[in-house]
Amino acid sequence: MARIEFPEETRRRIEQIGGADLVIGVAGTVDVQQLRQRAASALAGMPGKVVIAYSDASADAAQGSESTMTSAEFLPYPQDTLDPGSTPWSQAASAHRAVLSLAANLEAHACAVIHSDLGNFAPEPLALLTTPVRDGQADLVMPVYPEGKYDGLLNKCMLAPLSRVLFGKRVRYPLAFDFAVSSRFIPKLADANAGRGAPAAPLMWPVNLVATGDGIIEQARLAAQHTMLTEGLDLTAVLTQLAGSLFQEVENCAAFWQRVRASHSMNTLGIPSAETPTDVRPMDVRPMVESFSLATRNLEEIWRLVIPPVTLLELKRLARLDPLEFRMPDQLWVRAIYDFALGYRVRNISRVHLLGALTPLYLGWVASYATEMANASDEQAEQRVEQLAQAFEENKPYLLARWRWPDRMNL
Amino acid sequence: MWEQVEQSLRDSMARVTTKVATLLPGILAFVVVLAISVAIAWLLAWVVRRILTAVKFDERISRGNSGISEWAPTYTPTIVITRTVFWGFLIIGLLVGISAFEAASAESGISEYVFTYVPHIIGAAILLLVGNIVARFLSRSVLITAVNLNLHYARLLATGVKWLVMVLTAAMVLDHLSIGGQIVDLAFGILFGGIVLALALAVGLGSRDLVSRSLEKEAVKPIEMPVQEERLRHF
Repeated sequence: MARIEFPEETRRRIEQIGGADLVIGVAGTVDVQQLRQRAASALAGMPGKVVIAYSDASADAAQGSESTMTSAEFLPYPQDTLDPGSTPWSQAASAHRAVLSLAANLEAHACAVIHSDLGNFAPEPLALLTTPVRDGQADLVMPVYPEGKYDGLLNKCMLAPLSRVLFGKRVRYPLAFDFAVSSRFIPKLADANAGRGAPAAPLMWPVNLVATGDGIIEQARLAAQHTMLTEGLDLTAVLTQLAGSLFQEVENCAAFWQRVRASHSMNTLGIPSAETPTDVRPMDVRPMVESFSLATRNLEEIWRLVIPPVTLLELKRLARLDPLEFRMPDQLWVRAIYDFALGYRVRNISRVHLLGALTPLYLGWVASYATEMANASDEQAEQRVEQLAQAFEENKPYLLARWRWPDRMNL
Repeated sequence: MWEQVEQSLRDSMARVTTKVATLLPGILAFVVVLAISVAIAWLLAWVVRRILTAVKFDERISRGNSGISEWAPTYTPTIVITRTVFWGFLIIGLLVGISAFEAASAESGISEYVFTYVPHIIGAAILLLVGNIVARFLSRSVLITAVNLNLHYARLLATGVKWLVMVLTAAMVLDHLSIGGQIVDLAFGILFGGIVLALALAVGLGSRDLVSRSLEKEAVKPIEMPVQEERLRHF
């Protein structure tokens, strides 16, 4: 994925602006009027020359050159034509790349990207995100969103712990909508393919690129959590895209993560959000357990291609349990994920099929987690997620062994 | 009388021996050509494999998300190409061998017949290979999709799709080889129709409750069920 080529009009505007201390890019289409109104308060007291990059489907370019109540420059960027079936993550990744390319062209000292709902386009979150990268304390600042025990389950059970194991950074949201980057890493993130010798994943994994480039990563607690427009999104399709993209990163960065021995906690800025009342309403996990059981009866021939017989036997045993007693051991889940990551690499089954066959396993984990955490507070749930992440680390030798000698383990 | 029998036996023995003696050089030529072809095919396949391994062909292909490995993921692209080269040269060797056999044994018409039929065999082999791959791919796709949709007859659907494609492939292969004539068409029609009917009946009977429930839903408002999914946020 090479750096984006901008149209003549955008290039002229970049030349006109000259340079920038900070580029704030809104990932996705936004209402320009609302952006301008919010910019005055959001950028109050922010030092240096700030450029706000945005994409507005309805606005013409001339509108973008006007300046209003703020001294910031507004720079529209063209939105990529995306597949109508694309997910919010691929749309965000495309917008992130466009914003980072603009920042690279402007030779900005720092760049922050924010979600198009403008939830974090306010002085405090912007300061938390951008100050460390502007001051040279960090190369990347990732967000920590407030969330309940049943939120962001895919991130909790797979994306965050796997990213942590691979890159040794305990980042809570490796696939975030808001983050800030230092000037050192702007060109690298804008052209994710540079120097990797492999195609970039279709999604943006800034932590991976900065960690492999030996950059410093920090986290910032942001108050606003983004509401995902998940209506009409198929769980299997999204799981396929997110897990597939991360498995691709596992393959791309194999030389790096095999040398990573342990993970390190990140410096986290900001104050934790206030405790929310614990959700203790009973959860009916039967449909998810039934999905899992149905899969163990029908998908064995596919799972067998990637999962060793011992793990397969464990999964079958689980399927016979009563829904209320259904608990998926951490080791079983972790090893299954590692097996799928390896299956993605060795391609002994089509990748589309492989990732499709992961959905029932994931539902099994969700059922197990929901049952276990039914009466737990958010804090207890967080500890449970940390325990799972540790299980990912403890089982890393299993991944290493399978990665190096894939044929030896199918016994 | 016995003398006549003995004479005719001697004559037939002599004819067979003469025939075998006439064919022997041809058979020998065929075997020699085939053996040389196997050696050349093996050597070329080895060279191709070494070259592809040296240029890291598999890695390059997998980086480009090639469709080949998606459809036939059991073998690496290097193995597929190496085997294609090997079998290609072996088939060429076989044809040369048949030609040599004809030339050496003075049996006319063999190579002409074989050469006319070979394209059909190659076409049929390709059809069979493609049909197999498509059947396996579609069957797995249907199985996974059906399981993810919580359909209890997922396996039945997948098996049905697999056999539909296989039957279609078999009919096409036989038709391509001009074997069976109209019997194949007829048998294919009956089998294909039978599978579709069996699937329709099985799925229809299996989904009877589902259909009746969905019809009832139009008339009677269903009892409010607690929606769990809203509380679980996957993303």
